[in-house]
Amino acid sequence: MQTISRLGVALVLLVALAVPRGVRSAGPLAGDFQIRSAFVVVDHGVLQLSAHIEYPINDRIRSALRDGVTLAFDLDLTISRHRRLWFDATVRETTLRRELTYHAVTDRYVLRDETGVEQESFPTLEAALDKLGRIEDLPILVESQLRGEAPWEVAVRAGVRRGRMPDALRALVFWTDDWHRTTDWYTWMLTL
Amino acid sequence: MDAHPVRRFGVRILTAAAFTAGIVALLLLARSVENSAQFSRWQPWILLVNILGAIALMVLLARKFWQLYRDFRDHVPGSRLAMRTVLMFGALVIAPLVIVYLFSLDFINRGIDSWFRVEIKQGLNDAVELSRSALDLRLREQARRTEIFARSLRELQGPALLQRLDQERRATEAKEITVYDAYGRAAAVSSATPLAQQPAPSPPEVALQLAAGRSYVSLNSLANGQYTIETAAPIANAVSAHAGRRYVLIHYEVPQELSALAESVQRTSSHYGDLSTVREPLKISFRLTLTLVVLLTLLAAIYGAIYSAQRLTRPVQDLIAGTRAVGKGDLATRLPLSSRDEMGLLVHSFNDMTKRLRRASEEAMRSRQEVERERERLAIILSRLSTGVIVTDRELTLHSANQSAGTILGSSFEGAAGQHLTQLPPGTARFATFIAELRARLTSGWDEWREQLTLPGEAGERVLLWACTRLPDERELGGVVIVFDDITALLAAQRDSAWGEVARRLAHEIKNPLTPIQLSAERLRRKLLGGCNSVQKGPLPL
Repeated sequence: MQTISRLGVALVLLVALAVPRGVRSAGPLAGDFQIRSAFVVVDHGVLQLSAHIEYPINDRIRSALRDGVTLAFDLDLTISRHRRLWFDATVRETTLRRELTYHAVTDRYVLRDETGVEQESFPTLEAALDKLGRIEDLPILVESQLRGEAPWEVAVRAGVRRGRMPDALRALVFWTDDWHRTTDWYTWMLTL
Repeated sequence: MDAHPVRRFGVRILTAAAFTAGIVALLLLARSVENSAQFSRWQPWILLVNILGAIALMVLLARKFWQLYRDFRDHVPGSRLAMRTVLMFGALVIAPLVIVYLFSLDFINRGIDSWFRVEIKQGLNDAVELSRSALDLRLREQARRTEIFARSLRELQGPALLQRLDQERRATEAKEITVYDAYGRAAAVSSATPLAQQPAPSPPEVALQLAAGRSYVSLNSLANGQYTIETAAPIANAVSAHAGRRYVLIHYEVPQELSALAESVQRTSSHYGDLSTVREPLKISFRLTLTLVVLLTLLAAIYGAIYSAQRLTRPVQDLIAGTRAVGKGDLATRLPLSSRDEMGLLVHSFNDMTKRLRRASEEAMRSRQEVERERERLAIILSRLSTGVIVTDRELTLHSANQSAGTILGSSFEGAAGQHLTQLPPGTARFATFIAELRARLTSGWDEWREQLTLPGEAGERVLLWACTRLPDERELGGVVIVFDDITALLAAQRDSAWGEVARRLAHEIKNPLTPIQLSAERLRRKLLGGCNSVQKGPLPL
């Protein structure tokens, strides 16, 4: 009896861990958040990713940004090759990380890349999120780097979280942080 | 070096290493809180190490507590003292730590909350507003100037337009002035940078604003912290009002000092906003760190308290065990001299005491053996004596009696020690008389006498010469020793001897006249024998 109850508790914990955080609680990031479309084209031997992502937009996000919170937008991309009787081989794994902040002095929303070298400003949050959601011709791989035989599986996932928080603190509030949401993986098979 | 010291040395090294690792882990934990950015990556591991350390300490403590409880339950000597000492030390350690912990928690909460006070937030907002106002003045001025400048371009085309653009750019120190045609294409550009570059693209909202009849003005910040102002104004068409409207877009650079100040305000505001999001995580982090540090310190202190208590009570336990061993007669007990303090002095005194006790015991044993030998010798002598000896107290309780006493009195004292003489089997009449006489004298208070005692008997009276002497007795039980001898035969011999003397003297008296008669007769015979034959020479018949 005790063993069964222990197994039950373990099962509940496993289910709680397995459920994606985006599904569990929308919280302040409530709203439509999905990858509407994504595809890869080859241009002069370079694989370029184009995607259309719909990011959530609501007053809490707007308010948080205006309070100075930085939001980080991650786009995870994985290209893998299926292998029989073994784990799939990862051909390419990359993350496009961008940050969105509200520039209080200029009253504009500033979008910058991970390095902070390039930045762009927008008069409205909608315009900034629209820009964020439109990935166009992002070079991801040189064709010659595609090892193995076709087809390859391409998976894309978008995520939003509070940026500029030390990893240690992020680990501490992992289970209580509502400012973290990801989409499901958007996958398709790639053949050249 | 045998195995035991080697193991002890190894344990000490391991303990020292664990202690050092714990201190390092605690310091790293403290550093990770102070400087999250530097230790951010390692903090989970540092936390993990500290948590593992706390768990290890808990296991060790549980083991120690189990040992203490087991000793207490089994009434092991010194266990109560150890338990009491541990409780006392524990209370001394726990109370201040808990107080410090609670106060620190409060300080952490207050400290972090003070970073996000309303006044600070309001001050930052005011600073932003101030910066914005300062820049707004410049924006409005540039916008108004752009509108005036756009009106001046109404009639200009081609080189004249370009010349006017250059003239205006130099006059206003604008970075770039571009005139766009009705289709949004750059018709003329005057730039401070070489013209090899493309003119900056017109933002999409410019056309929308102008189409709505509003002038466009925008303040932008660049990645390097530089602020720029973009202004646009429509250029009225002199040829035809329906031919589409051109517009001029001017890029200004905000002065460096103003840009730096505005950027500083912006950066501070943004940093404050980011920091406010980590307010609760920071509190959790600090609380967790503090709790872990306090917990580790507490566990280590309790462990140290138990260890110290055990070290303190170990000599006491040794002393108790030694005392018990001495109590059971093991005087060879020696305690290890573990320290040179007062406890060591006590142990030394104990060892000295047991040494003296052992020596005294050995001497007592030797004396006892000597006494025993003497007693045995005396018993042998007494048993071989023809004189009867009885040792009794005034109540006539027999202590000892030799064999001759029984023989003389016609009774047996075998196994009668400790019995009352009157309760012994009466045996012979002389024994009863003896006991009666003895009792009579002792009850009369006599304890010293020497006289004859005549006892009746079937074979005739027996005469004893008996003497009584009081024994020196520390317990004052009044013991006496009665020595008696059967002098019946002696008396008879004396009598016989007296009679013999009488007979001898009588014979002497008789013999005295006979001798001269004999001598005279012999002289006569000698004189007469000369004339006698052999027969005549023979003795005369009497």
